Amino acid sequence: MQTILAVDRLTKRFGGLIAVDDVSFELLEGEILGLIGPNGAGKTTVVSLISGTITPSTGKVLFQGAPIAHLPAFRRSRLGIGRTFQLMKPFPGLNVLDNVAVGALFGTGGGKSQLREAREDAAKWLAFVGLGHRERQRADELGGPDRKRLELAKALAMNPRLLLLDEVMAGLHHGEIDEVVSVIRKVQSRGITVLLIEHVMKAIQSLSDRVLVLHHGTKIAEGAPQAVLNDPKVVDAYLGTRRV
Amino acid sequence: MSLLLQIVVNGILLGGLYALMALGLALVWGVLNIVNLAHGAFIMLGAYTSYYFFTLLHVDPFAALPLCMLTVFAFGFVLQRYVLNLIVRAPMFNTLLITFGIDVVLTYLAQIVFSADFRVVNPSYAGANFTLLGATIPLVRALAFAMAIALTLTVWLILGHTRLGRAVRACAQNLVAARLYGVEPRTVYALTFGMGAALAGAAGGLYGVVSQINPYIGDPLTAKSFAISIIGGLENPLGVVVGGLFLGILESLTSLYIGSTYTDVASFGVLVLVLITRPRGLLGKTT
Amino acid sequence: MMRPIGSIAFVAMLLALVLVPWLSPPALIQFGTTTLLLATLAQSWNIIGGYTGYASFGNSVFYGIGGYGTAIAMVQFGLPFGVGILVGAVLAVIFALLLGLPVLRLRGHYFAIATLALAEAMTGVVSNLDIAGRNIGLVLPLRKGDAFFYELSLGLLALATLTVFWISRSRFGFGLIAIREDEDAAGVMGVNTTLYKALAFLLAGFFSALAGGIHAYWITFIDPLSAFDITLNVMMIIMAIFGGAGTVFGPLVGAILLASISELLATEITGMASLFFGLVIVVAVVFMPRGLTDLTRRFPGLGWRYFRENLRLHRL
Repeated sequence: MQTILAVDRLTKRFGGLIAVDDVSFELLEGEILGLIGPNGAGKTTVVSLISGTITPSTGKVLFQGAPIAHLPAFRRSRLGIGRTFQLMKPFPGLNVLDNVAVGALFGTGGGKSQLREAREDAAKWLAFVGLGHRERQRADELGGPDRKRLELAKALAMNPRLLLLDEVMAGLHHGEIDEVVSVIRKVQSRGITVLLIEHVMKAIQSLSDRVLVLHHGTKIAEGAPQAVLNDPKVVDAYLGTRRV
Repeated sequence: MSLLLQIVVNGILLGGLYALMALGLALVWGVLNIVNLAHGAFIMLGAYTSYYFFTLLHVDPFAALPLCMLTVFAFGFVLQRYVLNLIVRAPMFNTLLITFGIDVVLTYLAQIVFSADFRVVNPSYAGANFTLLGATIPLVRALAFAMAIALTLTVWLILGHTRLGRAVRACAQNLVAARLYGVEPRTVYALTFGMGAALAGAAGGLYGVVSQINPYIGDPLTAKSFAISIIGGLENPLGVVVGGLFLGILESLTSLYIGSTYTDVASFGVLVLVLITRPRGLLGKTT
Repeated sequence: MMRPIGSIAFVAMLLALVLVPWLSPPALIQFGTTTLLLATLAQSWNIIGGYTGYASFGNSVFYGIGGYGTAIAMVQFGLPFGVGILVGAVLAVIFALLLGLPVLRLRGHYFAIATLALAEAMTGVVSNLDIAGRNIGLVLPLRKGDAFFYELSLGLLALATLTVFWISRSRFGFGLIAIREDEDAAGVMGVNTTLYKALAFLLAGFFSALAGGIHAYWITFIDPLSAFDITLNVMMIIMAIFGGAGTVFGPLVGAILLASISELLATEITGMASLFFGLVIVVAVVFMPRGLTDLTRRFPGLGWRYFRENLRLHRL
C-alpha cells in the first residue's frame, strides 16, 4: 500500500506553548488511523496542520509525496484533503442541500463547475449519510446528530482522498454511534483514507486499522488498537499517574 | 528647533483633547462591543450645550463641563436603554447601521434647531498665552488638555476600581453570569453607554472653546475617534491617550511639513496602515 | 423560476421603463435617472456586502473615482465620453485591487471602518490634485437630452442586475455566499477566499464607477464633496438592506421604494431626505433586519409576530 500522508517532525508553537511537539507518522492509502489522547493533547492541532487552517512552526507535511505545509487551506482541499470541524459550523443561511453543494463545487480538483451537477452530487451524499429527507431544511435548524451527518456529507461531497474526522461521534448515543461507524466503513470501502479523532473507544477499536496516541503534544504510542489501548503509558495518560 | 518644539507642543495639546474624544467611543466599543457611528454627533451636542450655557446664561465653558456631560449622558442613556438595547445581540453590522442612521438624524435635527452657522465659545481669557520651555501655549488649550487627561484617568480608575466598573466589566464578559449575580444588564449597558456619551459631551464642551462649532463637525470627529481607538488599541484603557497624542502630533507635523489640507489624509492613512499591519493597535499584541 | 405570467409582466415592466422618457414630464425623467443610478449603487454594494458579507462603508470611493476619471479624461484630455467612462472604471478597478487586497484581510467591523476611513480620506486627497481641479472641481462638457442619460442609467442597472443574477446561480456566487456564511469553513472546503473577495470588491467598484461617470457627465460638474459624498454610502446600504441584501431584486425594490418616498417627502424641505433615511434605517434594523424580501416571504405565515421575533432574537 502507498503512503498517502507523511508527517515529519511536525511542531507547532503558540507563543510559549508547544501544542504539537516533534510528531511524525505515516498514513497508508485506504486505512483508517485512529488519533486519540486526552483533551488538550494536540489532536485537533495536528488535523488543522494537515488541513491547512494553521501552518507548522517546523516540520514537514507530505501529501501523496508532495510537500504541502505552506499551501493555503483551499489548495489542500483541491488536492483532496477534506475535514470536519469539532464545532460544527454549517452555513446557516443555506439549506442542507446547498451546504453540501458547496463542497461539491469546490472540492478535489476544483470541484464541479455547474450548480446543477453539484446539487445532484450533494443529494447523493446526503442520502449516503442518511440525511436525504432534510434536503430543503435550513441548515441551522438541524439538531446535533443531524449536524454531524451534515458535516460529514459536506466533507464527502468534496470527493476527498484523505478525510480528517474530528470527533464526529461526540454527544451521540449508542445507536447513533453505530450508524456513524457503518457510514465510515462505507467511506473506507470507497477507497478513502480516514484519520479519525475520537474519544469513543468502542468506535476506535472497531474502525481503526491502527491507532496513534498523543499526550501533551507528543506521540506516546502507535500500533494496532488492542496493543495501544492496553499500553500502560496510554492508560497513564488518560487516568493520570496514581498516587497511592 | 523651537519651531519644531512648538509644533510638537501643539500636537500634544491637540492630542489630549483627541484622547478624550476617543475615550467614550473606545469605552463603549471595548466594553459593550457597540461601535457607535453617532459618537461625533454626541460631541457636537456637547459643544452646542456648552455654547448655549455660555451665550444665554454666561456660564464659563469649563464650569459648564459637568452640565454638558450630564445632558449628553441623559441622552445617551435613554438612547441605549430604549433603542440600542433592542439590537445588542444582533450582528455587529446592524449596530453600525443603526448608529449611522442615528447620526444622520441627529445631524439633520441639529441643522434645523441650531442652524448651520458657525459658532464659537469665547470666554474673556480666550486669547491668553503663557510660555513654557520656549513654546507658546494658549491658556484654553492647556486647560482643555488638563481636563482631558484628568477625565481619562478618572474613567480608568472607575472602570478598574469601583463596583460600577466591575459590574460593567462583568456584563462585557458574560451576560448570563452577570445576571445571576444580580446585575441588570439593560441598566448597566445604558449606564455605560451614557458614560461614553458623557465623555463625548465633555470633549464637545472643550472643543467649542478651541475650535468652531457647526452641525457637521460630528462625522470627521467620529472617524478620528476611530483612528485613535484603533491606533491605541482597545485592550488597554490608556491606549486612547497614546493614540490621541500620536494623532495630534502627526497632524501637527503634517500641517507644517506637508500642508494643512493633508492632515485628514495623514490621519486616515495611518488608520488604514495600522488596521492592515497591527489591527490590535500599537499597544496591542500581534495576533 | 418564473412562471409565464411573471415573465410577461416582467417584460412589460421593462418596456414601460424604457419608454419613460417619451411618456413623462422632465421632472420624472430626472427623478428616474437619479433612482436608477442609486439602484445601481445599491446593487453593486449588494455584491460585496450582500452576497460576500463584507459590509463596505466606502463604495462612494469608486463612485467618485469613476466620476473623476470621466471628468479628467474629458476635460483635461479632450477624450469622448465613451472613453472617459472606461477610464473611470479602469481607475476604480485598479484602486479596488490595490487597496482592496490589504483591506479585505480585515474582518467584520474593522473592514467597515477601514473602508469608511478610506472614503473620508478621498475628499482630502482629491482636493490636493491640480488635475482634478482641487477644491473647485471640474466642469464637464454639456450634452443636452435627459433621455440619453436616463436610458444609459437604465442600461447600467440592467447590466448590474444581470450580473447579480448570474452570481446568484453560479459557482462563483456560491463561493461568495460560503464566504459570507463562514469564511474559514469556506476556505477549508476549497474556496479561494482571497481571490473571490477581491473579485467581488472589484465588481462592486466597477459598477459604482460607471454610475459615478454617468452622473458626472449628466450634471456636468464634479467636485470632491459631491463626488465622495459619504451619505451615498448610507443610501446604497439602506436601499440594499431594506429591499433585501443577498437577493437579486431586493436592492432594486429598496431603491425604488425609498427614493420614491423620499422624493414625496422632500418637496420643500431639503435635507429632509436625510432625516427620512436615518429613521428608516433605525426602524428597519430593529424590526426587519433582513429586508423586505424576507419580510414578504415570512409575513404571510407569521403576521405581526415576524417583528416580535426579530426583536426577541436581538434584544438584550
